[in-house]
Amino acid sequence: MAETARPIVIRVNGTEHSLGAERSRSLLSVLRTELGLTGTKYGCGSGECGACTVLLDGQPVRACTTPVSHADGRSVTTIEGLEGKDGSLHPVQQAFLDVQAFQCGYCTPGMIMEAVALLRKDPNPTALTIREKMAGHLCRCGTYSRIVRAIQAAAAKMRK
Amino acid sequence: MNPRGADDSSNGVPDASGLTRREFLRAAGGVVVLFSIGRSLEAGGGGSAPAGTVADFDAWLRIGEDGRITVFAPTPEVGQNLRTELAQLAAEELSTPLSSVGVVLGDTDRVPDDPGVCASSAISTIGLTVRQAAAEAREILAAMAAERWGVPRAEVALKDGRVVLASDPKTAIGLGELARGQRLVRRLKQPAPLKPRAEYALVGKSAPAIDGPAYVTGKAAFAADLRLPKLAYGKVLMPPCLGAKLVRAETASAATQPGVIAVVQEDDFVGVVALRPDLAERALRSIQATWEEGAHASMAALYRGLRASAKLEERLGVRGDVEASLAGARHGYSASYRTPFAAHAPIEPHAALASAQGDRIVVYAGTQRPFDHRKAVAEALGMSAGKVRVIVPAVGGAFGGKDAPDISVQAARLARAVGRPVLLSQSREEEMSWNSFRPAAVIDVRCGVTEKGEIAAWDADVFNCGSRGAEPPYTFPNQRVRVYECDSPLPQGRWRGLGGSANAFAREVHLDYVASELGEDPVGMRLRHLRSDARMKRVVRAAAERYGWEDRRPPTGLGAGFACAADAGSCAAVVADVEVERSSGQVRVRRVLVVQESGLVVNPDNLCNQIEGGVVMGLGLALQEAVRYEQGRILSRSFASYPIPTIREAPALEIVVLPAPDSPPQGGATAALCAVAPAVANAVFDAIGRRLPEVPLAPVRLRAGL
Repeated sequence: MAETARPIVIRVNGTEHSLGAERSRSLLSVLRTELGLTGTKYGCGSGECGACTVLLDGQPVRACTTPVSHADGRSVTTIEGLEGKDGSLHPVQQAFLDVQAFQCGYCTPGMIMEAVALLRKDPNPTALTIREKMAGHLCRCGTYSRIVRAIQAAAAKMRK
Repeated sequence: MNPRGADDSSNGVPDASGLTRREFLRAAGGVVVLFSIGRSLEAGGGGSAPAGTVADFDAWLRIGEDGRITVFAPTPEVGQNLRTELAQLAAEELSTPLSSVGVVLGDTDRVPDDPGVCASSAISTIGLTVRQAAAEAREILAAMAAERWGVPRAEVALKDGRVVLASDPKTAIGLGELARGQRLVRRLKQPAPLKPRAEYALVGKSAPAIDGPAYVTGKAAFAADLRLPKLAYGKVLMPPCLGAKLVRAETASAATQPGVIAVVQEDDFVGVVALRPDLAERALRSIQATWEEGAHASMAALYRGLRASAKLEERLGVRGDVEASLAGARHGYSASYRTPFAAHAPIEPHAALASAQGDRIVVYAGTQRPFDHRKAVAEALGMSAGKVRVIVPAVGGAFGGKDAPDISVQAARLARAVGRPVLLSQSREEEMSWNSFRPAAVIDVRCGVTEKGEIAAWDADVFNCGSRGAEPPYTFPNQRVRVYECDSPLPQGRWRGLGGSANAFAREVHLDYVASELGEDPVGMRLRHLRSDARMKRVVRAAAERYGWEDRRPPTGLGAGFACAADAGSCAAVVADVEVERSSGQVRVRRVLVVQESGLVVNPDNLCNQIEGGVVMGLGLALQEAVRYEQGRILSRSFASYPIPTIREAPALEIVVLPAPDSPPQGGATAALCAVAPAVANAVFDAIGRRLPEVPLAPVRLRAGL
């Protein structure tokens, strides 16, 4: 029991939070209701749509199926943590904006987080790689061809 | 009180503490133009309306004392980027920078009553009136400046947000300065002349989406993102199957669960309010409910059931004598086409936040129909509609599926019962199970062909999907379309293009079938029968030319298919290239060409975006989407059991928009969407010689025929 009573400590977008949350609660629920970080979206609750994607120690995870205990002692980046200190957009955010790679904008934060992780690993992905890596992210508005273009544009900019 | 996340600047969510329409008209300075959407301008009565009267207008435009222009219109933004396009139209007529225009949409206290505009054609209905109102405002402002300078109206012009004296451009006055101290409310009567197209600086340019920065930063506030002090979270008991009635619910143990604020039971409505969503859900699970189950609808009986319950609703496009022509035809071709129920499946499930404020209730709801929600909440709670305000925040996709007011009514019941704000958001399973579906359809087509290969008779019986798009664009000398209303086993509602996608599927596949039976080219067949529809003829010709239709030589296993459709005022021709894997029956769409005409294009890039999205959704209908249900239970309750298109299947897209700048702007996404499934089906026939009269073109069905 002592073990479960120990607070969970997670660093979110650079700020450390000590949480009394139940360890089995989803990271998504904690981000949205305890920390007020609502940029990360609920879409399906079972890891099928990608809308809740955040970075856990730099790796993309589905926050809806990640127990918050899994993030204990680790670092989480959400869409709110991508902008520079001066408020400048991350190149991936800027590219989504430049290409207008959205319609309703609901899947966009998850898409952007996955793309950020993808470009860290592979700074020069082919369109095919982008499709493979983004296949777990659903956009019902159907802006997929723009998402591929946006990620390629961001990659080109980040390589400079 | 205004929720965090809801403010005018980030994503257009109106400030709940802001002035209501009535207050605004009484108090606001500046220049206001009232206008009606979709009504004749003359009918509204002319002259100046005294400030404070609220009657007979559905939208307004205001030039504030700070020079900012605000357009108020009823149709919510649901991803069609209406906000940007309306801002472009208003800014254009007023020759003012786009950044000086704000657009408030979907707030029952601040926008006028909803005239029933649907999202797919909002730009055609609202767009023109916004232009006219802005033109009227331009005339008012110009006249005011002219009077101030003692010159005739013709000697002043609007430029860059100011009125300028033509003879001396240094003499200028800002719009805000002109509006200052004014309390001028003018009702639009005779339309002021619209700006000549040659002078357009903003319309026709791809202005970036006003909401874009909020979307890419996560700051856009959707209903479930709104936070109020003391916010609680709700969960509602849902039946085990469609039509089930609650007999009793044992809620005592739920009420004692951790974090539970209240269990609310009003007649057969049972909901839980808790401090956290997960606690509400846990408590809900502990409720022991007994249900009397309703009729157990199952898929196997779907199409039979539709036919059996059919009642003739209307006849369309009746011409000549169909029966006689069919009887005397050289060849007769009949087929029956089927399209299943489809889900809207927006990524954002339905959500609403309700908050009782004094004797009023404010509901923030992700909906396309805020006025319907207001009415339903008022009725359910026994309040007058004036005491209910519905505000539409950002909406994460709707596609016609966020109409029904249930979510708002439920949230409002819970909020009133516990006396604090309650957020209710559906789970994915609830979203897929408890909302409306695109109507399933059966369409029987019989046609008679003369010796010369002319289609002389066209007879279509359309079951359950309604009349939209049911009348062919072709001229058949003898024609009859009968539309039947049926008992639907599932709740159904609007879906992009309504019945248009089913009607286009039946018509365009049947036409291809007749062409192939006669050994005729499918495009030639269409052109020959498109006698009077010049717009459609134009897109069909352009698509065939662009594609190189005549010279095409698809290799084995590959095929090309053609289809055309009109919807929401636009015409589209679609060519799809497919590859069919013979062993598996798997269809892969490699490329889609769309040639579309949508009248005046306000924002070319946005129109392309909408068309691209429509194509992807059309591919879902063509290849994979069908709602499965058994024993009154929806089985397609997740993205695993109801797969929608992913980025992996998204084909190469080429979108060509034909200029037609002298006709009004038309709806973007749905015409192409309607033509996609038939184009794909026709391409599959081209590839493997097998024609299926039913979507989705699932591998198991195609394999059966190989």
